[in-house]
Amino acid sequence: MRRTSTVGLAGVAGVLLLSALVTAQNTAPSTAPRSPWKYYPEDARANVGPGGPAPKRDLGGTWAGESSGAGVKGPVRPEREPPLTPLGKQLWDRNKAESRGVLIADSNDPHLRYCDPFGFPRNMTDQIRAMTITSLPDRVFVLILFQTIWREIWTDGRALPANFAGRGANVHDPTYNGYSVGRWEDDYTFVAETTGMAPETWATEAGHPHSVEARVTERYHRSSKNDLTLTMTMDDPTLYTRPLKLGEIYFRWIPSQTFFNTTCIPSSLQRYLKEMADPAGGASVAR
Amino acid sequence: MRKTSTGIIAGAVGVVFLSVLVAAQSAPQKNAPRSPWKYYPEDARANEGPGGPAPVRDMSGTWAGESSGAGVKRLVPPDRMPAFTPLGKQLFDRNKAEGTGVLIAQSNDPHVRYCDPFGFPRNMNDQIRSMTIATVSNRTFVMLRFMNIWREIWMDGRTLPTNFAGRGADVHDPTYNGYSVGRWTDDYTFVAETTGMAAETWATEGGLPHSVDARVTERFNRSSKNDLSLTMTMDDPKLYSKPLSLGQVNFRWIPSQTFFDFSCVPSSVQQYLKEVADPASSPGAAR
Amino acid sequence: MKPKVLMMAVLIAAFAAIDRPSFAHHGGTAFDITTPVVLKNAVITEFLWINPHPLIKADYKDDKGNVQQWTMELGGLVGAQLIGWTRTSLQPGDVVTLYVWKAKTGALVGRFNKVDFPDGTTMRDSQTGADDGGRSDSGQRN
Repeated sequence: MRRTSTVGLAGVAGVLLLSALVTAQNTAPSTAPRSPWKYYPEDARANVGPGGPAPKRDLGGTWAGESSGAGVKGPVRPEREPPLTPLGKQLWDRNKAESRGVLIADSNDPHLRYCDPFGFPRNMTDQIRAMTITSLPDRVFVLILFQTIWREIWTDGRALPANFAGRGANVHDPTYNGYSVGRWEDDYTFVAETTGMAPETWATEAGHPHSVEARVTERYHRSSKNDLTLTMTMDDPTLYTRPLKLGEIYFRWIPSQTFFNTTCIPSSLQRYLKEMADPAGGASVAR
Repeated sequence: MRKTSTGIIAGAVGVVFLSVLVAAQSAPQKNAPRSPWKYYPEDARANEGPGGPAPVRDMSGTWAGESSGAGVKRLVPPDRMPAFTPLGKQLFDRNKAEGTGVLIAQSNDPHVRYCDPFGFPRNMNDQIRSMTIATVSNRTFVMLRFMNIWREIWMDGRTLPTNFAGRGADVHDPTYNGYSVGRWTDDYTFVAETTGMAAETWATEGGLPHSVDARVTERFNRSSKNDLSLTMTMDDPKLYSKPLSLGQVNFRWIPSQTFFDFSCVPSSVQQYLKEVADPASSPGAAR
Repeated sequence: MKPKVLMMAVLIAAFAAIDRPSFAHHGGTAFDITTPVVLKNAVITEFLWINPHPLIKADYKDDKGNVQQWTMELGGLVGAQLIGWTRTSLQPGDVVTLYVWKAKTGALVGRFNKVDFPDGTTMRDSQTGADDGGRSDSGQRN
């Protein structure tokens, strides 16, 4: 009995030691020299805690999001069982999303098959590993790292446009990022509203459809110097019987203010599809 | 004679009347209601003159560039036949730019064939119809209207990286926009330097190649509130035996601070090539 | 503390230190993630640092002397970089041993598992790099 206990303890101790070693290799901050141009996730992870109070009415800077290696809390995903109208259900069924178990070779996700830009709001919930926010007196800009795409949110008090159909000179064209207005609700909460998103885009990675009249609300709340939360909902009565929750995404301030370079190049994607995904029958694992 | 004269006068009056009608329909609708979300080139054109002195160390805002309808002075194009090294000439000959003698179907321009991002510096001299500039304390951001791509120029005094080859942990990845630093050389001139641009991109629409070690200098000069000019040169000793000019692009301040939305969507490009450009085999596919 | 209670406490602590189950099987439906195909002395022909997945292309000479041309994908660019991959981690001409979860279609394509270098080092995939096909990045996803 004593020998078994000793062997058992030794084995467990060995496991503990190996685990500690693995953890040390992957998570401990390194003392190797740093390039200011490179992102060191271990440094971002080491920057724990609130870092101080949130500055007032200021979201500026570079933020790490989901799956960034910075220790950011995982997001709350968009609703997977959306409350669809009959038309909404038809469009939902038409969108064959890889994240709903469809093989890449069978997917009709325009981003997956062509590298088409996500469009808004998908670009704020999919591959949102880092973003930078800057502003002018009349606008806030969200600079998304993935595909280095930027969005513009007007803060000059204008109203959102409402007319996207018809032929008059005053009709507004739907765009991939839509038309956005925003304002500070209090010193730490910025609320943006967007409409006019081109309906050929998907609202989410899972293929939630949206009409051009959909209205998306983003609520950015900065609770400390280091913490930013984005909550999103979409109101689209043509396709959904009630507002749809698009989830909650958490961000942490990056001390070095830089991140990996990450983008989608259409010619590379065509090569990937031809030489890898289509011969494999699709279904790569989660990106 | 009198009948003929009456007929001639009636005819002339008719022509004048019709001309007035046509002119009225084509002329800017100066009194028509304006949407703040739309760009009215006639309003931009009507904003003549310097508009006042240039603000000190400030290029922020939205600018109209070449072929924007804002009456911007024509650009000076890049050197057409720079002093190539033998390797430079080889790479230049390999790049089949759409234009004289090369149809879209024959071009290997990755942007034309796939909608690949231009990359820098091409994105500052091709389709540069509008851009917006904003800053945070340590960076200037150039947000390009075409493809909604943004670039980041660091102003914290760091030096450019130099090591893009090899396998060490300190090697920097080439990127489509490269690595940029910048500073004000006087109150109205901002100079940026960029290197590390991924070598698969073209430096210009004409297919000038560049290596990853190329260094591009941008000189932004704001001569008045309404006028900004950008002069660019590229130093790339591997491919060019002396620095070459990438031309000069002029910009005018847009009073409404908005511009048309325009982009390149890869799936649309594939459709265009399949249905029009490739079957056409004619030079009718000017963008 | 009695020995049995101490052992239980240590065991609980040991499993807590391992932040994912040791024998999780990955659910990649297109690939056979039970037994990797081993390509000894494969010669890298290309390493494409691309989205959505970097691709490794390699020539492998089978036991009959026929050269097979393989293509395999890594986990996404950010996940790969988080565990130390760079665009120059593999270069044309490298002679390595590749482990790949082969596509069920039978095509010479698959999901990368790991690579052994001649110097004795190994690099793994972020999502299917463990010997059982699970994650190999100590679970650091966030």
